[in-house]
Amino acid sequence: MTTAPVRKFRAPNRLSMLVRANGGMMAKDALAAADAALEPLRAESLAVLDAALVEIESQFGRSAAATRAAGAYQDLYTLALRIIDVSGFLPDSCVDQAAISFCALVDNCSEAKAWRWDAIDVHINALRLLRTSDLTPDQRRAVIDGLNKVSQRRIDDN
Amino acid sequence: MREPLHASTRINLEKVEVLLVDDSVPSLNLLSQVLLGFGIGNLTRADSAKRAQTLLRERTFDLVISATNMAGVDGYELVKWLRRGALEANRYLAVILVSGHTPPSQVFKGRDAGANFTIAKPITPKIVLERILWAAKEDRQFIECEAYLGPDRRFKNDGPPAGAKGRRREDPPQALRPPGATAQGGFDAEKVKP
Repeated sequence: MTTAPVRKFRAPNRLSMLVRANGGMMAKDALAAADAALEPLRAESLAVLDAALVEIESQFGRSAAATRAAGAYQDLYTLALRIIDVSGFLPDSCVDQAAISFCALVDNCSEAKAWRWDAIDVHINALRLLRTSDLTPDQRRAVIDGLNKVSQRRIDDN
Repeated sequence: MREPLHASTRINLEKVEVLLVDDSVPSLNLLSQVLLGFGIGNLTRADSAKRAQTLLRERTFDLVISATNMAGVDGYELVKWLRRGALEANRYLAVILVSGHTPPSQVFKGRDAGANFTIAKPITPKIVLERILWAAKEDRQFIECEAYLGPDRRFKNDGPPAGAKGRRREDPPQALRPPGATAQGGFDAEKVKP
């Protein structure tokens, strides 16, 4: 039996040549310009975040207890990702961390092919709390620590 | 270890052709604004990997930034395809993946698909610019074999195990290896040399 050869080579990096061209700007100016360019998207991004949270609650929350088991793992995962996408506008809120924990939870549920509704309800409540309440950084951290413990638990551990 | 971004680093992205791929419009908008802020003059947006594939068959780009989680063809499949199926001039492009959920398994998946780097969302301008600079300074060679085509997946070269003679030209001599490399295996490599 023969194995296919392995080829190792230097590929041309056009990006490298272009970024070194004369002109351009300093990194600090590029970052300031990017921050300024993002600002007009703040309101609509937060609206996207809130809409995703409402959709999660209406499709997968307690109010949908009778129908939520028919939902698709991928749909909830995508909604949690939508929150992460725009959560950069709430830098110290830990909303992004809660949504990441939510993704991990849905991933585990999908792998085990079984929903964990208590854990999902906890994540939905925590997201709402982190988004709307005036919590201290320590309180936010405590919420995230709790969520991570919940989401990392496997179904077999219940 | 790759260099962190310095405030005084000068960068010119005016002529860089960037393809941005994401099926989430809010995310596409955010990344577009960041890149335009960096002074990127040639930005093309694709709202699906399928659309990106069409573009990568027709035009030459210098950098691809793609989401991972997309309906239909995802970002990992897109990179894998790009390395073998895109226009010849696009196969060795720098590719940065952007993902909201990045457990190690997903980062390895991106690496094994042939991506240069993965960025975790929510994106920040600093991390995006830093990764673009890393991609521009990429010094890893490309590896092509039956199962993989992309940048060398080894980020650092500590040389062969302690006591073993390196077989590769680029293996660092014993004297230049990091301290951990000589202590591996719980014996002193120098003592077992004939």
